[in-house]
Order: sequence, then structure tokens, then C-alpha cells
Amino acid sequence: MTKVNIPATERSPEVDFDFSVNKFALRGESYPEDVNAFFGPLMDQLESHFENQDAADILFTFELIYFNSSTAKILMGLFDMFDQAAESGNKVIVEWCYEEDDDNMEELGEEYGEDLEHADFVLKKVAAD
Amino acid sequence: MAFEIFNKELEIIDTAKALIETGELSPESQVAYKKLLKDYEKLFKSSKRLVKLSDRNEAELNKVARSLDEKNKMLEKLSVSLSKYLSPQIYDSIFSGDTDVSLSTERKKLTVFFSDLKDFTSTSEDLQPEDLNYLLNKYFTAMTTIALKHGATIDKFIGDAMLLFFGDPKSNGVVEDAKACVRMAIEMQRKMEDLKDMWLNKGFAKPFRMRIGINTGYCNVGNFGSDHRMDYTIIGSEVNLAARLEQSSDTDGILLSAETYALVKDIVDAEERDPIQVKGIARDVRTYAINDIYEGIEDDRRFIHKERPGLTCLLDIDKIPSDQKNDVLNDLEALIKRVKES
Repeated sequence: MTKVNIPATERSPEVDFDFSVNKFALRGESYPEDVNAFFGPLMDQLESHFENQDAADILFTFELIYFNSSTAKILMGLFDMFDQAAESGNKVIVEWCYEEDDDNMEELGEEYGEDLEHADFVLKKVAAD
Repeated sequence: MAFEIFNKELEIIDTAKALIETGELSPESQVAYKKLLKDYEKLFKSSKRLVKLSDRNEAELNKVARSLDEKNKMLEKLSVSLSKYLSPQIYDSIFSGDTDVSLSTERKKLTVFFSDLKDFTSTSEDLQPEDLNYLLNKYFTAMTTIALKHGATIDKFIGDAMLLFFGDPKSNGVVEDAKACVRMAIEMQRKMEDLKDMWLNKGFAKPFRMRIGINTGYCNVGNFGSDHRMDYTIIGSEVNLAARLEQSSDTDGILLSAETYALVKDIVDAEERDPIQVKGIARDVRTYAINDIYEGIEDDRRFIHKERPGLTCLLDIDKIPSDQKNDVLNDLEALIKRVKES
């Protein structure tokens, strides 16, 4: 298991995880019918992977257009995970991309970024589709 | 403290912090208590964020709903405008999704109505364009109102002529469709009498006079044309026969084919006329001219014209002001009394 690629659906984001190079991305809209079924296995895989990393360069990119409250709770868990991985000696960069006219997503990114104490946070403006 | 939805949680945090500062807790409890407070603060932060996100998503949703609502209203307005170019039945069946908007036709037994204004060209040449517009609009509005009342599908207006039919997209059965068509035609001719009087009163020396032909038979009905521009219409020799009957009809009259007459003979009094020949129909077509209808549709009329020796009566019920209704009744009763006494 070095890669996880799940294409986006109407309700769930594209998952693009490459464990071998420590590059991870979530893209699109996220309001899955069953948030636990969708994110549960991914969270487990990430958690056990991060626990085994040492002084690794980890990049996690979010390119989300919309997400619901359940996904927001998942993101909080992910951000905790990033901070823990950074605290244990890894270099973790969290990249939060938002479309240029999407003030909401920019603001949400800022709020999530404030939670991080050890990981680096990058807010990145991208062109709207 | 001013009201804030999370005041209670903030108070709990303040109380907990105050307790830590008193130093009353044992060192072990102090560590455990601090950890607990940190987790509580984190949970509180999560709650605030989720509430905020939920409100934000709801606001976005409302914005989208409002914009959809505006678009719907715009589409509704547009469809109302478009509907005036279509027969209501066609409009309804397209907008309800019952009709497939494609180039397809069906063979159905329909009652076809064809009407024309006699000597329209020569009459119209004597009129100013404004007067012609006024007369034509008045004529078409009155006829369309009657057609819709009886459930006709308005196929098209061709100059001064009208092509209507019964039996598609909705049908009440061949007999009822034919009867509805004949009732409509009779009401139209009666309305023409009213219009004729109105026009004469307004000074139009040569009012319009209508001829009507009605036939029942199998036609092809549906969408003809191309994928880019289609026309919902009927074609077939039975349609031509309706047009041919109209040409053979008396002025102010209604001429039926034997097929239609057979379906409506229990509601109309008609006399047989000379048979006609039509291209595409091998047989001679027997024809019937309507004299009268057994059912009363007089009650619905608002404009009544009676002409007998010694009596000319022109009654336009809609024009009687409500406060003068009794005066009109008194006048009429006085007249009745005088006729009775004479």
C-alpha cells in the first residue's frame, strides 16, 4: 500500500495519497453520505503511516470547494495528526488552496491554520475553474 | 457580560482557570486538571467552528436557493410569454413532460375545423390598416376564447383562416370530440352575429362573415419539420376535406361531412347538401349544413341580438352598469306590458 487513489464523486473528494513520497491531497467537494465509512480507513492508514515516520518531509494539500460539518470534524482530526507528526520531528507542510473568489474557503483555511503549533501552514490562492 | 451564545462555556473555562490559580489542588490533580481544561478548550473551539461552518453553509444554501428562485421566476415569465404562441394543450403537455419534443407523428381520428372569412381580401382592401387590425384582433380574440372554452387545439391562423382540431393531445372519445367541435362552431357563428352588430354600430359597412367546414377522420398528428424548427400540426386528406367543406359552406354557415354528422346528429338539426369531391378521397363526400342545435347555449351569451318584424333588440349584458340594472329591467317590463296589451 504505497498509493491510494479514489476519484471524486458528486459528494466525496478526490483522494490522492502517495505514501512512498509522503505527498497527500484531498480535492473537490466533501459531504459523503457516510463520513465514517469514507474517511475512517483513510484516517487509520494515515495515522499508522505518520507514527512510523522520522524526520520525513510530508506535504498535505487541501483543494476543497465545499465541505460539510462532519468533514470539518474529520479535518480537525487530520490537523491534530499533522501537528503530532511535526512535533515528533517530521517536517510537515499543510497547503490550503482556495479559489480566488472564495472568501469562505480562505477564512476556513485561516482558522484551521491557527490550530497548528508545529506544522507549517501555507495558504495558497488558485485560479477559479 | 453581554449575551453571547457561548457565555456558559467561557464561564466554565474562567472558573477552571481560577481554580488552578488558587493552588488548592494537589500537584497530581493540578496536572490532570490542566490537561482536562486544555481538552475542554479544544472541544469548545471545535464546537464554535462547527456552528460557524454550519451557519455559513446554510447562508450559502439560502443564497443559492434565492438565486434559483429568481431564475425560476424568470423562466416562468418566459414560459408564459412563450405559451401565447402555443395551444394551451400543447404547452401543458410539453411542460408537464408528457409530450416528447421530437419529430414523431401518430395516426389518430380527429375532428378537424376549418374556417375562413368570406371575401376577406376585397373587404380588407376597403379598410384602413388600423381598422383592419382592430377588426381582426377582435375577431381572433373572440374566436380563440370560444375555441379554448370548448377544448380545441388551435393548430394555426392562416391569414383570416383558422385550423383547429379535437382529439389530440387530449381526447374525450371520438363522439364527444366531434360534439365539442360542433358546439364550438355554433357558438362562434352566434358570436359573429354579435360582432357583426357591434361592427355595424361602429360604422363598418361590410362586417366580416365566416364560413366553417368540419370533418372527422384519420389524420397524422405530431411534430413536423426539422430538428431545429418543428411545428405541431395535422396533415392528411381529411384535413384537406375540412378546408374543402369550408369553401362549400354557406356564408355564416357550418358544413359537416357525413362522418361528423353521424357522430353529432342527436344534438343538431341539419339538412343534406350536394356531395363534394376532394383530391385524395376516392368517394363522393356527403355533406350536411347545420340549421340549429337542440341544446341551449343561449344562456351563456352576454350579447343578444333578436330581429323580428316589429322588433329589433340589441342587448349587451356586460355593458349594463350594476346600478342601472333595475332601470333596464323596468324598461323591458314596460315594453313587455305594452306588447301584451296591444
